[in-house]
Amino acid sequence: MVNSNRPSVGVSVLIGTLLLAGVSAVQAAPNTFNTALSVAKGQYLWREQLVLRERSGNGPMERDVSVQALGSVLGYGVTSRLAVFGMVPYFFNKELDVTTPMGRIERDTSGFGDVSLFGRYTLYKKDETGSTFRVAPVFGLTAPTGDDNDSDRFGELPRPLQPGDGAWDGFAGVVTTYQTLQYQVDGQLLYRENGRHDALARGDETRFDASLQYRIWPRSLKGVAGTPSFVYALLESNVIHREHNETGNGTDADSGGIQWLLAPGLQYVSRSWIVEGTVQLPVVEDPNGDAIEDDYVVRIGFRRNF
Amino acid sequence: MIKKLSLLVTTLVFSIAVLAADSRYILGVDGLACPFCAYGIEKRLNRIDGVTDVQVNVGESVVHVTMQEGKTLSEDRVNQAVDEAGFTLRAFSEAEDETGGNGEQ
Repeated sequence: MVNSNRPSVGVSVLIGTLLLAGVSAVQAAPNTFNTALSVAKGQYLWREQLVLRERSGNGPMERDVSVQALGSVLGYGVTSRLAVFGMVPYFFNKELDVTTPMGRIERDTSGFGDVSLFGRYTLYKKDETGSTFRVAPVFGLTAPTGDDNDSDRFGELPRPLQPGDGAWDGFAGVVTTYQTLQYQVDGQLLYRENGRHDALARGDETRFDASLQYRIWPRSLKGVAGTPSFVYALLESNVIHREHNETGNGTDADSGGIQWLLAPGLQYVSRSWIVEGTVQLPVVEDPNGDAIEDDYVVRIGFRRNF
Repeated sequence: MIKKLSLLVTTLVFSIAVLAADSRYILGVDGLACPFCAYGIEKRLNRIDGVTDVQVNVGESVVHVTMQEGKTLSEDRVNQAVDEAGFTLRAFSEAEDETGGNGEQ
């Protein structure tokens, strides 16, 4: 039975990082994490990002997890230094295929996930002609607004398969950006502490992200007046460490681990629109025990200034 | 006499045209390095009373502002708007000709 203790814990373990890395990084400038660039006072930023994520496990349960989600973000510049953001994911489908004593079964769900609210404050900026360097702490929380007690014909779904996690999480970090007319480099260090709900606390997460965006069009700005649209080639890197999940009676050995993802992509940037896409591919996967691994994550989306 | 009169009329017409022309300003803005960032500065400058047009030249980090006839733009107000957009005002000057083409090369 997939609802028996062992498979349930195993499934939880294997899907345990879905909520964290799936859409929680849908924020502001690089595709997979944040930026230190300001949002002007009184300006809104609207962002939608479609996330298609495939994961699989090597254990006897041959777990396959597929997620199709849309992350919606609304940002607002309170001042030129302080911007606040709200983010909510909608899961079109979160699906688990797993081998059980009953044979291969499929469990899935859909619905809104947990809302995240966060702020970003520009602590330091150094502007020069055609370039800027900025440092901005980021701080926020994720509220348990999503449904966390969905069930199917096999019973209640494992916690990590639920659209909502049921726990309050907090996160804080710092992001730096160096932007010129030719390229942009971003770096972020972020820590997320996950709360406990129904005897399960997902492992806390530490991540280091880096991104390089290089303008490939127009190739030169000489003689180009006004505000031309840019096309950037981008390469992003995400190193993520997740601790073991904490269960009612200790820690789960088959959870957490380290992974390094690389994401090549393209970004079209105009005066009020950005259209972008990346594919995150695992370079290093070092899961604890039988924790599930990423196969790939596709991110396609847009941003709009208003 | 007729020649002098026509010269006087021409001078008068030209003077009125100059006086009636919109005033234009040229701002040098530091920290401006992408098209998406330009929107914020346009939005802040457009909120200033009397501004009729804002043109951002991203490649040269220069912003051209056109004011309504009879309105002027103060450096303090521009500095505030540029700061609210998240950038730094580097230079401020009023354009000397109608094309606003001075001072940016």
